[in-house]
Amino acid sequence: MPDYGQIQVGSGTLDARLVLGLAVVLFVLGAVGVLIRRNPIVILVCIELMLNAANLTLIMFAAQLHNLEGQLFTLMTMTVAAAEAVVGLAILVDIFRVRDVDDVDQLSELRG
Amino acid sequence: MALQAVALALLLLPAAGALILALSALSISRRVVRLLGPGVVWLGFLCTLVLFVDSLQSGGPHDFSYWTWIRSGAFSLPANLLVDRLSVFMCLVVTGVGGLIVTYAVGYMDHENDASYARFFCYMDLFIFSMLLLVLAGNFVFLIMGWAMVGLSSYLLIGFYYWRYSAVAAARKAFVMNVVGDIALVLAAFAIFAQYHQTTYAGVFGALPRADDPWVEVIGFLLLVGGIAKSAQLPLHTWLPDAMEGPTPVSALIHAATMVTAGVYLIGRMHPIFDLAFWAHSTAALIGAVTALVAATIGIVQTDIKRVLAYSTMSQIGYMFLGVGLGAYAAGFYHLLAHAFFKALLFLGAGNVIHAMNDEQDMRRYGGLWKQLRPTSICFLIGSLALVGIFPLVGFFSKELILGDAFSKPDQGGFPQVMWAVGFLTAVLTGFYTGRMWWIAFWGEPARDRPVEHPHEAPPVMLVPVVILTVLTCIGGALQVNAGFDIPWRQVEDFLSPVVGPLPWSPRGLEWIPTAATLLLGGVAFLAAYNFYVSRVWRPWSAAVPWLQRLLERKYYFDEIYDAVFVRTMDGVANVGDRFLEEPVIDGAPTGVAAVAEAGAGTLSLTQSGYFRTYVLVFVGGALLGLAVILLARTAG
Repeated sequence: MPDYGQIQVGSGTLDARLVLGLAVVLFVLGAVGVLIRRNPIVILVCIELMLNAANLTLIMFAAQLHNLEGQLFTLMTMTVAAAEAVVGLAILVDIFRVRDVDDVDQLSELRG
Repeated sequence: MALQAVALALLLLPAAGALILALSALSISRRVVRLLGPGVVWLGFLCTLVLFVDSLQSGGPHDFSYWTWIRSGAFSLPANLLVDRLSVFMCLVVTGVGGLIVTYAVGYMDHENDASYARFFCYMDLFIFSMLLLVLAGNFVFLIMGWAMVGLSSYLLIGFYYWRYSAVAAARKAFVMNVVGDIALVLAAFAIFAQYHQTTYAGVFGALPRADDPWVEVIGFLLLVGGIAKSAQLPLHTWLPDAMEGPTPVSALIHAATMVTAGVYLIGRMHPIFDLAFWAHSTAALIGAVTALVAATIGIVQTDIKRVLAYSTMSQIGYMFLGVGLGAYAAGFYHLLAHAFFKALLFLGAGNVIHAMNDEQDMRRYGGLWKQLRPTSICFLIGSLALVGIFPLVGFFSKELILGDAFSKPDQGGFPQVMWAVGFLTAVLTGFYTGRMWWIAFWGEPARDRPVEHPHEAPPVMLVPVVILTVLTCIGGALQVNAGFDIPWRQVEDFLSPVVGPLPWSPRGLEWIPTAATLLLGGVAFLAAYNFYVSRVWRPWSAAVPWLQRLLERKYYFDEIYDAVFVRTMDGVANVGDRFLEEPVIDGAPTGVAAVAEAGAGTLSLTQSGYFRTYVLVFVGGALLGLAVILLARTAG
């Protein structure tokens, strides 16, 4: 694994590879969760997980490069994530209202 | 200026009538149709009378130019109407006889109890408009428009009973054969423009060369083909008998009195060209004479009363072609006028009979009508005698004028005299087939299978036009006396000579001999038919020559030959085209594109499984693939 150097955390330093590794783990957890889980709520949670993995890399590189844009963009992503969660949950609530769905595979009417 | 407006009103009144009827046919009341349909024609007749009085007084031609229609470089086309004595003469026939016939139709078409009633008068007014446009046109474009539109209205009216297959087939046949003539006329106009760079009559006639040249002949022959197709002359005649599928007033107006004489008008109108084009001009006379004879022979064996009249129409128009083809224009136009009178009379009389016989047209199933339909019978007899050319009816004077002029035309290798001989023979045959028609239909005992035992005479609205036409047939002869007789009374010639010129040769003074012979033999033939068909004193002539009867009944096999040569050939070409061009290429291209799109869409839609995780998997897999490609590219780079 290449050396991404150190980042400043408070008074100490942290190996960037650790942070990136954590982000990769979080992202893969989220992606696999979306792929294999069938409960729609859990899928939404997994999507949040992937978004936050992306946020973590953004913050990490922002701190490393002393560039605030990354942090700002993280705020933006969180806003979008919140909005997405609202919309997604609203859709789910609507679906639940019509029929009792606990498995997204049941929602396959739009197949070709 | 006022005359200019009158000429335009004459043209536009029937057009307005047709338009109103077309737009309101479904809602308009029959009472309004009865007024409007013939009304606009009669208003047109009034306008024509104004123009007629003016042309009698001033005599000069008026070239009314309303506006410049097209101006493009050297090409300039004014919207102009030519009002001279020839077009006024034709307008009198079209609106006068036309008015009588359209009025007659008010009664004849009365059993059409739906919107077809208005539809009929809409077509009739459209026809009158087209015909007026044809005769009033001052340039070749208007001429072609009128020429094509009379063909259209003829098509619409032949196919008026569109639920009858035979009517539709006849309409199509008439239209196709007319279009042959239309194309020839258009080509003639092209040739004229290419040669003389003119579109108006005045311009063209002013630009003609002094002597005959090949281009003049080409133009002359093209014009002649146009005239032949419209006037049902050999060899483009087969549509006219079939056109009798149309209602009887249509046969009277379009296929006897006006439209089919358009070819005669065309030759008269284009006389500066035909006077130069010797061969085209002589061919017109030859075709007229042959048609007159051929049609008369076929007329002898027809059994449908309207078809007998149709063949006699062809025959009489052949006389007109003979006249104008020899340069005796006034004679041709006098016969046109006379024919409009007596042939319209005959058709309308036949219409009365057909009406009384519950639409039966086979005259062998009539018989004995003289006692029951006396007024119609008398009128029909007068019309028949005029057709034969019996003194003092109009047919006598007009036919004798043509034959006399042909007889006396100075020698061109005896060509005019040969034409006269054919015309003479035709006149005798005319007497025979007319006599046959008259005796079979009206005389003798009622046929055993006659559809109606006690027929009723037609209502006044149908009888009055017939009576008026009878009167015109009786007195029309007072217009003109054969040049062979030393009586200086030539109203038709004097009226038309400013346009078509005076007769370029003087009579020999011996014309009374052929005239007397024609009158005598025609009359004898008329009477002889009685012995063949009513008293049956004489054996049927067909028993002696059955092959001739067969030949005539098959109409010289024209239809069969055309069917074999043109229709079958075109069917074959169409079938080949259908199999090898239409299906694989023309249909194949769009259906092929559609099939490819459908197959592609079907295949692609397999990927749309509807399962959320499949999409996610593809998405994630795609992202990973993209990442791998980028990383590999970087590593390799």
